[in-house]
Amino acid sequence: MITEAVSKYSYINKSIPRIDSNDKVRGTLQFLTDIKLENALYAYTFRSKVAHGKINGIYTEDAEKVNGVKAVLTYKDIPALNGYGAIVPEIPVLAYDKVRYYGEPLALVAAETQEAAIEALGRIKADITPLPVVHSIDEALEENAPKIHDKGNIARHTIVRKGDVEKARSSAYIVLERVYETPMQKHMFLEPEGGVAYIDEEGVLNVLAGGQTPYRDKIQISRVLGIPPEKIRVKNTPTGGAFGGKDDITVQIHLALLAYKTKRPVKLVWSREESGVAGFHRTGSKIKLRTSANKDGALLSNEAIIYLDSGAYQSFGPTILDVSIETINGPYRIPNYIIDANLVYTNNGIASAFRGFGAPESNFAIESMMNELADELKIDPIEIRLKNILKSGEIGPFNNEIRHSKGLEEALNRAKELFYRLDPSGPFQRTGVGIAVSVKGVGFGTLPEFPAAAIEIIPEGKVRIMFSNVDYGQGINTGNAQLVAEKLQVPLSQIEVLHSDTKFAPDTGGSSASRSTFNGGGALLLACDKALSELKTEAASFFMTKSDSLSYKDGHFYYKDKSVSIYEVAKRLRVRGKSTRFEATFEVPRYSEAVEGTLEVPHMVYMYGVIITKVEVDELLGKVKPREVDFIADIGNVINPAIAAGQIEGGIIQGLGYSLIEELNYDKDGRPLNINYTTYPVPIIADSPLINVEFIRSYEELGPFGAKGVGEVSIIPVGASVADAVADAIGKRNYKLPLLPWKIV
Amino acid sequence: MAYEKVEVYSPRSLAEALELLSQKRELIKPVAGGTDIMVMLKDGVLKEKELLNLSFIPELSYIKESENRVLIGAATKYREIRRSPLINAYSPILIEAIRQIGSPQIQNLGTIGGNLGTASPAGDSIPPLYILNSRVKLQKLGSSREVQIDKFFLGPRKTVRESDELITEISIEKMDPGSYYFFEKLGLRSANAISIVSAAAILSLENNTVKYLRLSLGAVAPTVIRAVEAEELAKDKELNEELIDRIAKLAAESTKPITDIRGTAEYRKKATYGIIYEALYKIMKGYGKKVEYGFENTS
Repeated sequence: MITEAVSKYSYINKSIPRIDSNDKVRGTLQFLTDIKLENALYAYTFRSKVAHGKINGIYTEDAEKVNGVKAVLTYKDIPALNGYGAIVPEIPVLAYDKVRYYGEPLALVAAETQEAAIEALGRIKADITPLPVVHSIDEALEENAPKIHDKGNIARHTIVRKGDVEKARSSAYIVLERVYETPMQKHMFLEPEGGVAYIDEEGVLNVLAGGQTPYRDKIQISRVLGIPPEKIRVKNTPTGGAFGGKDDITVQIHLALLAYKTKRPVKLVWSREESGVAGFHRTGSKIKLRTSANKDGALLSNEAIIYLDSGAYQSFGPTILDVSIETINGPYRIPNYIIDANLVYTNNGIASAFRGFGAPESNFAIESMMNELADELKIDPIEIRLKNILKSGEIGPFNNEIRHSKGLEEALNRAKELFYRLDPSGPFQRTGVGIAVSVKGVGFGTLPEFPAAAIEIIPEGKVRIMFSNVDYGQGINTGNAQLVAEKLQVPLSQIEVLHSDTKFAPDTGGSSASRSTFNGGGALLLACDKALSELKTEAASFFMTKSDSLSYKDGHFYYKDKSVSIYEVAKRLRVRGKSTRFEATFEVPRYSEAVEGTLEVPHMVYMYGVIITKVEVDELLGKVKPREVDFIADIGNVINPAIAAGQIEGGIIQGLGYSLIEELNYDKDGRPLNINYTTYPVPIIADSPLINVEFIRSYEELGPFGAKGVGEVSIIPVGASVADAVADAIGKRNYKLPLLPWKIV
Repeated sequence: MAYEKVEVYSPRSLAEALELLSQKRELIKPVAGGTDIMVMLKDGVLKEKELLNLSFIPELSYIKESENRVLIGAATKYREIRRSPLINAYSPILIEAIRQIGSPQIQNLGTIGGNLGTASPAGDSIPPLYILNSRVKLQKLGSSREVQIDKFFLGPRKTVRESDELITEISIEKMDPGSYYFFEKLGLRSANAISIVSAAAILSLENNTVKYLRLSLGAVAPTVIRAVEAEELAKDKELNEELIDRIAKLAAESTKPITDIRGTAEYRKKATYGIIYEALYKIMKGYGKKVEYGFENTS
């Protein structure tokens, strides 16, 4: 059930159906991987069958001879930088000296027909001397471990500290020390990585591929091809699911390279299995946590050693590590802490962004710890949290002033009413209830963000809004349209969305970090301000009066008993040769400096949530069935309750998969074992529990109409709440996800 | 990766199909539904370059009664079996199993003969066929033979079918009226899940004494197996918790499971015990499903 507050707004706080739902429901929407370009070449990728090895040679002569083959490219064909990566460009576009994971791309083929391309693929030979494979964090850290990179197997190491943990710990009533582990998780979006590329009449290289951050894609392509970004267009919409897995480069550079070299349109779509071996996944984690508290449950110290498995390269690894640092202290008052954080290389594919971005990993540790502390101290798990959460105005562990955490307190108080065990459904069923709290920053913390967005008033009666955040299914199109409709007080039917295309939309940044509403919406509202101010001046000239004697309502300027619509005013502007497009840049509020040892900690605005999970465990089969989940969210003012609840429900189900059945495994040769929907099961709708989503009434002053963000908040605490509920049911705690049946009995 | 190129033959009669098969033998792969073959094609693991499509042969799709047995054409789709009044009335355990196969999409295409031909130890229609004392009819040009279901499978993906033979019919027993039955499968999710363990049983009770028990297990050995020792033990004993425990233990001991990403061998033994114990306990407490000849329920 969604509790919808009585609203003073006309277009927000409303569960308006998504503006793009019609085509999606009818199946008529053309995704970028559906595009068929005339005269296009078919592209395929030649991949390493060795997970770790030294490249002696890649031989393409035989492949080039195949009739219809137009290009066979290796690292030798890369015009400029052979590297990409959202944070550090260290991932080879095509491997040259070493391969570091199974499936790493070695060559690209483009041909007139699929058959020719496949024939050519079969004729490429790679001479690779295998090296010992590093399978896990533990193996990577061994003294004589094979070095995956010249610098070793630690991609990033940092220590963040405050206070005196030794002293605090020695005076504590209780000290618990535990090791928590979480699996690598695949995104399993329905549309695999893919798209098309072509050079248009103006010589611009167009890359149309599923993605999340078009302007960064553009820069990454430009660096590899050595051509200016202005000569590149990236379009990322529509994208069929992403969850972070399309935030860094997937096919974009390969597509661009092939189109650039062949001067022909090219299509490249990864198979599900290629997505399995070469697509990104969530970092696996191992976290050692030692936490101390007083007898009354007040936390005294927190000591964490965090290891995240980055796989063969760093994509977003360094900043994912930052979010795991920020999350390990929870939303709690922790006066003394030391966090030793490590990003570790292995030969397990490449880890990158995934909904929650390092937070689910740390949250599993700290929230499981809180539940066990409550158990040991015989304090109610809700009370121990109420005792420790930071209050509004308090200074948090990372020297940040806490804003509006009142929502969390309210959510915890509400949780008291929902925290109970269900009756078992049969004689072998045991039921349990578990709880966890979620906290996640919106956006990139202290990293500067300057999202730009534009609106255009079209005299024919439309308001076109333009931003580069991608709607890959989460509903940002609709949310942003509602914000603009509310601001301009015009019906939603008059709003037209043009987004995620560098040809039309300014650089708003991408869709990630639960930032699109806050940043994109924020920039759009500023653009609306600009438009209204300019239009008002023009309206004043229309009425031959002063602009401050005009009023504005429902898309019209009023002067005495006369009125003129924004569209009529726009027409006047057009006639007078002026632009009706208004652009603005939002300087996202942030702390000016990151905490020592971090890149972007802390954030200024946080989302909060409390999850209660009610499970049933079959005592003979060990099968865990989540029966009911309650989620109480503080996401600021809710722009579209149905879409927001959908995001929360989706995150919960994805989190249940992560907690119970999903786990990416590699064999002894470093080959991934589960690379498609048969071998990597994700929950389906029939597995979904009854989900109750409630929103705390909340208003974030810095956000557009008081909104914060929603995308990641619900997946984060699922693991800890499920483990807690299972422990409640069977009387034994588990410290490693997923809780597969054979780990229970 | 694109699909490999294959030649597909779609004969319109059984005679035509047998003729083709006699010429091509191991060069051609019979396909009845294709829900497994399509995956093999995509993975590039199918060795045959030609397919013999059996979907357009009406004579291979039927369900009919023959005294104390029901005869099912090999190309009969799961969906048709689920809807069959005959099978619902006489051999409902097969319905129980087929309901849990894949998803509606799979059930709309997949066939019972295809499931036998694939010969996966985790094939969900197979455990009930074992305890329905089924017979598989194999036909080739000019002759045919019938094989008992427990003699049909040789190992994972291996059967006694000769390369010029087609599976044309499965004959199953009618269950005794009043007997109890179950099919239970354990997968990692509610549908589209491959069985970690499955079990099927028919239990005939008289005054709470076991007249006979037939019990088969899936996904815990190279082929589906009958838990013969457990069946013998149960005979003429009173159905109580102690007996259920002993049956489940003996059944678990008869398994030879493997460890893979869907479960460890040790767990498969435990789960075999659990799945049987829980199902028999339910029957003992009076909640079990019972064969009642009748034609109302055909959903």
